[in-house]
Amino acid sequence: MIDMIEKEDPVISEEEAAQYDRQIRLWGLDAQKRLRGSRVLLAGVGGLGAEVAKNLILAGVKGLTLLDHEQVSEDSCRAQFLVPVTAQGQNRAQASLERAQNLNPMVEVHADPGRIEDKPDDFFLQFDAVCLTGCSRDLMVRVDQLCSKHNIKVFCGDVHGYYGYMFCNLGPEHNYVEEKPKVVKPPADSNDGPEAKKAKIDPNETTMVKKTTSFCTLKEALEVDWTSEKAKAGLKRTPVDYFLLHASQLSFLSFCLFLLFPALPLSFYSVFYPSTVLLKFHTDKGRDPDPKSFPEDSQLLRQIRDDVLEALALSADLLNDDFISYCFSEMSPVCAVVGGVLGQEVVKALSQRDPPHRNFFFFDARKGNGVVDYFGPN
Amino acid sequence: MVQLVGSLRRELAESLSTCKVLVVGAGGIGCELLKNLVLTGFKNIEVIDLDTIDVSNLNRQFLFQKKHVGKSKAQVAKESALQFCPSANITAYHDSIMNPDYNVEFFRKFMLVMNALDNRAARNHVNRMCLAADIPLIESGTAGYLGQVTVIKKGMTECYECQPKPTQKTFPGCTIRNTPSEPIHCIVWAKYLFNQLFGEEDADQEVSPDTADPEAAWNPEDTAARATASEKDGDIKRVSTKEWARSTGYDSVKLFNKLFKDDIMYLLTMDKLWKKRKAPIPLDWQQLENMRPQEESPASGLKDQQVLGVWGYCQLFQHSVETLRLQLQEKGEGSELVWDKDDPPAMDFVTAAANLRMHIFSMNMKSRFDVKSMAGNIIPAIATTNAVIAGLIVLEGLKILSGELESCRTIFLNKCPNLRKKLLVPCILDPPSANCYVCASKPEVTVKLNVQKTTVLSLQDRILKERFGMVAPDVQIEDGKGTILISSEEGETEGKVLLGFLSILQGIFLQEQEKHSDEELERDVEFEVVGEAPDKAPPPQNNQEEVNSITNGNKDSAQPSTSSKGEHHCSFCVHKQKHEELLGSIVEKVPTPLASGAIVASVKHSLQTFFVA
Repeated sequence: MIDMIEKEDPVISEEEAAQYDRQIRLWGLDAQKRLRGSRVLLAGVGGLGAEVAKNLILAGVKGLTLLDHEQVSEDSCRAQFLVPVTAQGQNRAQASLERAQNLNPMVEVHADPGRIEDKPDDFFLQFDAVCLTGCSRDLMVRVDQLCSKHNIKVFCGDVHGYYGYMFCNLGPEHNYVEEKPKVVKPPADSNDGPEAKKAKIDPNETTMVKKTTSFCTLKEALEVDWTSEKAKAGLKRTPVDYFLLHASQLSFLSFCLFLLFPALPLSFYSVFYPSTVLLKFHTDKGRDPDPKSFPEDSQLLRQIRDDVLEALALSADLLNDDFISYCFSEMSPVCAVVGGVLGQEVVKALSQRDPPHRNFFFFDARKGNGVVDYFGPN
Repeated sequence: MVQLVGSLRRELAESLSTCKVLVVGAGGIGCELLKNLVLTGFKNIEVIDLDTIDVSNLNRQFLFQKKHVGKSKAQVAKESALQFCPSANITAYHDSIMNPDYNVEFFRKFMLVMNALDNRAARNHVNRMCLAADIPLIESGTAGYLGQVTVIKKGMTECYECQPKPTQKTFPGCTIRNTPSEPIHCIVWAKYLFNQLFGEEDADQEVSPDTADPEAAWNPEDTAARATASEKDGDIKRVSTKEWARSTGYDSVKLFNKLFKDDIMYLLTMDKLWKKRKAPIPLDWQQLENMRPQEESPASGLKDQQVLGVWGYCQLFQHSVETLRLQLQEKGEGSELVWDKDDPPAMDFVTAAANLRMHIFSMNMKSRFDVKSMAGNIIPAIATTNAVIAGLIVLEGLKILSGELESCRTIFLNKCPNLRKKLLVPCILDPPSANCYVCASKPEVTVKLNVQKTTVLSLQDRILKERFGMVAPDVQIEDGKGTILISSEEGETEGKVLLGFLSILQGIFLQEQEKHSDEELERDVEFEVVGEAPDKAPPPQNNQEEVNSITNGNKDSAQPSTSSKGEHHCSFCVHKQKHEELLGSIVEKVPTPLASGAIVASVKHSLQTFFVA
């Protein structure tokens, strides 16, 4: 889809050249042109969504649609910077529109106050990439499935207190280029002949290498066989102090439980394990842990933790009390980190330049760890 | 029972709303940082930046819009950030942090200082101020996709200067003047040429063939002979390039033929140079004009990214020389131009001259876009890298304010995940270096110098100020009488006196000299700092990654990005595979910058050690 839209408009204007100069020097003019031809849907304009919106608008995509049915709450102003403090009660996407547009007048920014669940299938087809923040698993799986069929790049992400993650599905065949330094071959004749040697080739010259990589769907990423003994053994080997949160999303519970058992690398284990607890919380209470109800919520979280651990026949020490207090709401700096990585992945995918992170990124702000890992069929 | 406010514990949230923090720099990292601070709940923020907004900032410095171009970064950043939280208390300073007004007392107001800088001079300065005031400092840097954050706390961690940072790459004179092999050599030559013709003439920036090139001599004795001969030789040495150019009325064709034909032909006579290298091919204006191609239709894409043909650069050369000549004329008698990458004729001139030289030396010519990157030391920059780093800065800040210094880390942002799948790599902070002359409790440095040749003034200017970055040093002799050798007060120092003449010192110095009598200073070397290896990259750190500091500043000076000295960016970060790439864009050496007077206290102590036997 990107290739089709692309360069009917080959010339970049002087205005764009001046404004995008510092990034054109990084990723090149071709990449910038592709960005310029891309339309993106961003669902969810909370803390994480606002960061992604800013990053994509500054990068110079053709269009960005902000989709959010939520209303601006008191917390919203603390969580994100696109919504004016006076906008309480307004629709979050619409309230964010003005500042978002001012970030870069050359991008077409739209606000849609609708519910993503209500959108018909063909709504998504106008986009080259779809980015879902703060969405439920079922919704993400549905949208991902639909978009994959039409070669639309899919991104998901969420932030919960000090933890955050992103996922991407760039399709079964994602093509991109990578810049590699040109190999300088030594002269065949190494003796001093009557003819002087050639001048040294410019060591700064590089060459673009074409590559392809494949991604699985979110559904596939969630389906893992965890019944093996190998999986259980893997769990015991994992150092306990490495915990990252995945997402507090309803029905990621099953995902997480499945993921606990195969012989997984650290990140895998660490990311999903705590989220099991949060997910169960969400299932039980129908909402995320809320700072305002901290005492009761943390009590329940602790209880769930103990239950889950017992069910998995693991020691209760694995998940300590500190974790409890670090899971509440969206923290601006954590949104900035996850939004930065997610935003750059969208840019890379749209510009088809540089290897994408495959296929999850997890961030633990307590430890400062940011890990990329792959989950899905081999 | 822990109480939460938003995501933060109550105590932390309270401390955020009362403490004062300082943000140094309101550019790429600074804008993102201000936003994060305000949203996280910091209520009292001061921000300082000497720069004004440029259109090229707008792809990432999101607190600025097109309508703000030309205005103060600190001021506009403050106004934009206040919109996110009108109740925040933000003070903006459109000023240099190195202004003596921002003394130790100023720094002591803050609980935390966060750097968002792009040059080494300012970083060194803030480092020293924070050490002097004993305030924690969060240091950071970005370049392209890479970034780094670290925490500096006196007595607990390394300071910014504990590990020597590699100095800017310089090229030997004969490479620039005789045997360039890479485009960067030609670009440096072109910048030198600009100065020789239109700017401040510098003896270290000669452009004419170097007859004293040791490589050119078949016999070692030849080199000395050539050197002497060239001093007596007519045109090349006796008349300065500027004088010669002026005498021809800055005739571009005459200039062209001298630089790109006559001088090249002279180089060809130094045949030993071309034994193993491809010899340069001189250009002739008339020939090129006769052979010039028909008019070509303009290609698509950015004009700046086109690579012209040789005749195209001949014309560009001619045109820019003419424009610059007029500029010079307009400025008046005895005036000089300063090269600025954003001044079109200056940039055109360097593009043309560098490309002509590249062509002569059989190198592929470069577009104006590429030449500008190299000549202007431009480091590419994007919003996302800065966003990540700024987020990490605040997270480290929260740890500090919670009293959890031991959980602070240096964190590296990679372009790709490492072998352990990490994109963000946290590393334990290193303790201070025992020999650091900035932060060690007894900072000490040994300097070898010839007391018979070194005056007090040069001790002050060349060694203390230039080499060690002191602004207003006071020097005492440890002779029991506290005799003052150098005073920062004007008029009190006997600058011209040779150190050896001061009989008080004689005895002590002689002792010093005796110690080092076996090791002569190299010829022409004024002084030598013993025991330091500023050009070596620091050793690998505790983590698995090998860490090398790269560009802590393309320019060591602290001129604003919009000034004519050229852009300076920096990342004090470290990614081995990128190390070479970024270094490739470094052009010239700039003298070590001036730092704060606050360091004087510890320096005084160190200086005394110079004179103790």
